[in-house]
Amino acid sequence: MNEQERFARDIAARAVEMTDAHQAEAVVAAGSVALTRFANNLIHQNVAETDMQVSVRAVVDSRQGVASTNHLDDASLAACCKAAARAARSAPKDPDFPGLPDPQPVAQADRSRQASLDFDANARARAARSIIDQSAARGLTAAGAVRVAAHTLAIANSRGVDVAASNTGIKVTVLSSGTHGGSGWASFTSPDAAELAAAALGDEAATLAERSADPGGLEPGSYEVVLAPEAVADIADFLAYVGFSARAVAEGRSFMSGHAGEKVLSEMLTIADDALAEHAMGPTFDFEGVPKQRVVLVDGGVIGRPVTDSYWAARTGSPNTGHALPAPNPYGPMPLNLEIAPGEATIDELVAGVKRGVYVTRFHYVNVEEPVPVVLTGMTRDGTFMIEGGRLTKPLKNLRFTQSMVDALADVRGITADRRFVGGEMGASFVPGLRLGSFAFTGQTD
Amino acid sequence: MRELLEAAVEAATSAGATYTDVRFVDTTNEEISVANGRVEGVESSASSGIGVRVIAEGRWGFAATSTLEPDDVTRTARQAVEIAKASALVAAEPVHLSEVPIVQDRWESPCERDPFDISLEDKIALLLAADETMRAEEAVSLTKAHLGFTRVRKHFASSIGSYIEQRYVESGGGIVAYAIGEGDVLPRSYPNSHGGDWRQGGWEVIEAFDLAGNAARVADQAAQLLSAPSCPAGELDLIIDGSQIALQVHESIGHPTELDRVLGDEAAFAGTSFLRTQDLGELRYGSEHVTVTADATVPGSLGSFGYDDEGVPAQRDYLIKDGLFTGFQTSRESAVAIGRASNGCMRADGWNRIPLIRMTTVSLEPGDGSFDDLVADTEDGLYVETNNSWSIDDRRLNFQFACEIGWEIKNGKLGRMVKSPNYTGITPKFWNACDAVCSQDHWHVWGLPNCGKGEPMQVAHVAHGAAPARFRGVQVGVGK
Repeated sequence: MNEQERFARDIAARAVEMTDAHQAEAVVAAGSVALTRFANNLIHQNVAETDMQVSVRAVVDSRQGVASTNHLDDASLAACCKAAARAARSAPKDPDFPGLPDPQPVAQADRSRQASLDFDANARARAARSIIDQSAARGLTAAGAVRVAAHTLAIANSRGVDVAASNTGIKVTVLSSGTHGGSGWASFTSPDAAELAAAALGDEAATLAERSADPGGLEPGSYEVVLAPEAVADIADFLAYVGFSARAVAEGRSFMSGHAGEKVLSEMLTIADDALAEHAMGPTFDFEGVPKQRVVLVDGGVIGRPVTDSYWAARTGSPNTGHALPAPNPYGPMPLNLEIAPGEATIDELVAGVKRGVYVTRFHYVNVEEPVPVVLTGMTRDGTFMIEGGRLTKPLKNLRFTQSMVDALADVRGITADRRFVGGEMGASFVPGLRLGSFAFTGQTD
Repeated sequence: MRELLEAAVEAATSAGATYTDVRFVDTTNEEISVANGRVEGVESSASSGIGVRVIAEGRWGFAATSTLEPDDVTRTARQAVEIAKASALVAAEPVHLSEVPIVQDRWESPCERDPFDISLEDKIALLLAADETMRAEEAVSLTKAHLGFTRVRKHFASSIGSYIEQRYVESGGGIVAYAIGEGDVLPRSYPNSHGGDWRQGGWEVIEAFDLAGNAARVADQAAQLLSAPSCPAGELDLIIDGSQIALQVHESIGHPTELDRVLGDEAAFAGTSFLRTQDLGELRYGSEHVTVTADATVPGSLGSFGYDDEGVPAQRDYLIKDGLFTGFQTSRESAVAIGRASNGCMRADGWNRIPLIRMTTVSLEPGDGSFDDLVADTEDGLYVETNNSWSIDDRRLNFQFACEIGWEIKNGKLGRMVKSPNYTGITPKFWNACDAVCSQDHWHVWGLPNCGKGEPMQVAHVAHGAAPARFRGVQVGVGK
């Protein structure tokens, strides 16, 4: 346990002790985030911050109140604890509230990397320069960000929960744009800044930008598609948002509602949430200090079980899988470490299997139109191509899709062996590329 | 506080900064939410700190700290200068800023009854009453009600000698009833979706909503949606209610006229804009019915202030006049690119974020005529209310919106209710198809507390004045 974790645990314990209530919980989130943004081949924003916030949940009978502050002196902390208790006393009783969870052992995982802690403003600037050089040398324009973060999370409650963990992360994004409508994208997410190959990332985006110049049109309609991992991550995230929570399932808002044990998606598709995997990012416990379990959400296309927290586990008579968000939480439990099981193909092999279709590098501004069938709409961007005869032929203008993801994922025709992390250091999806039999494109940009 | 901020300016200047501004921001929030008769959340939060923004060696640097000890603040100022010097490792032209007056001033928003003085019990009782009324409708299986309050104190000091204190209070809330059927989740919200409506002001804002008085209507409409047919597909004349016009303005006029997007600063995240600087005064953005202003002086609007976060005075400016594109939203740095002074649109989401160009009150100015007259003048069309989903491309051209509810219009009359209507279009073509905007009597300033932009993500509180408007030949029922 490092010094920051000890300090955060002490603050959490103090807050629990200071709260005049039947039960109390404190969540302490401390961290530093530094970000260097570049655009038009120069650094235009460069920021750094440090902060520590404590959030206190007071429970009086079955009534709850939450207060938070980022000032940790005794007077501020006492005022925060008092505000939480006052809020709890103002709330009506909640007969379904099961009480704060009991302590359980949590898995230890070393997810902090020295190289990330040492990655200072000069290192970020050098990485940005390496990326920019790849575009500038080809007459292209680079934009993106180099973001480095270190977090410590400590949670304590009056029933004996006392957990803490630290983790680091680096996220680098690159958009390379040309003057003829072409653009390319590359991203990198990892706990360890030592793994960053900035020039290679810049090259990946610039190569895609050159290749996607002078895009043409495409008639709206349903096409076979190959989705690169970044596009797949958007779909996975929206499945989580509208479908994988026990709350959404219980309220009949999820495609899983009433279908447990039924085959709804392609037998090629297995989706799990696994914060315990060796490669996973973020803590191994949730925001109630409960150990996260590996949950198989979809197993060979068959609907599994949703994720729960203490409230929705009790409400639905299910085990607590350890997926609470910070209280108060109007969304319900949420998976933050989604994984789609890999296949055996390369992305080129997926493309080779398509006679006529569309290749999508990533999506933009995706939103839900209908939650149960998970009808999403959004745009493609930064590398959309026609696939003809098993090869990427011409670049396409950005396309709008309006598609039920439940329908689309019922017809999976190929999955890559390689997977990529997409997200941030407190939780990221780990996803492959997918070949899908049908995907509805309903419009395109001018 | 002034001493602390001016010491930070001094420390940055001593370390090599050629320009510095320092902001202290103290934010207090209270959120109360109810779902299905259960109080889901009663939460208060407080956050304060100091952010130091500098130009050194011609480049920007920023650092922030929640610690208000003098030594930490001056250390943060020096850190900002070091970060700026690191930015200079990538060669570039030095940053230039447009002129701004030196100001010593205070500004405060209207607030008749401080919402933080109203008891939690009263706030919870108001929400539970509305929630209970919605739950009286059998077909409604999920109800939600929410109130939120924000109080912000800001101090701004800059190296040109300005010192500005501002204070504002925001209040907002709303209710939503969901009818959930086979494969359908059908929400009906009041006064608006996605967190309701918000204004600068106090408890009087919440009382004016009359949430309980509107709960039965909302629940009844949600129930009716369960048996309503889907929206028709095809090209129709579309009348859009004021709240959805507000979001349409936000996405397809507000964001594309932010000059930082046009200049490429947001390219890798939020995107760019279809607009170019040379379109100013040349591009026919919309029909002659389309006049759009950016106005930070609207009393009680969520987009109002005395000075932006660069110390630029609040202004009212035309973005589109009678359909012609006439102005961008700008900052001190970006305004130089078009040879103008800043029109005061820079705001930061708290002490630990840099200011970005953010919308103020970006409004479609009212036209003539009543809503009833507009419907009566429409032979075959669709009327839609209240946003349910939004999406637009990275250049702000191709958009698609879904609404909560719609009604067919046949021979000048509202007819059959339809569920989940959606429509799509291309920005300039759509605004050029606008042939009527309703009058001031139907015009309302909608507060949007959830506009995301930037990295790290910042959430801005903005507003849009809007009245119902009609658009000819719009594609509706996409994917139906």
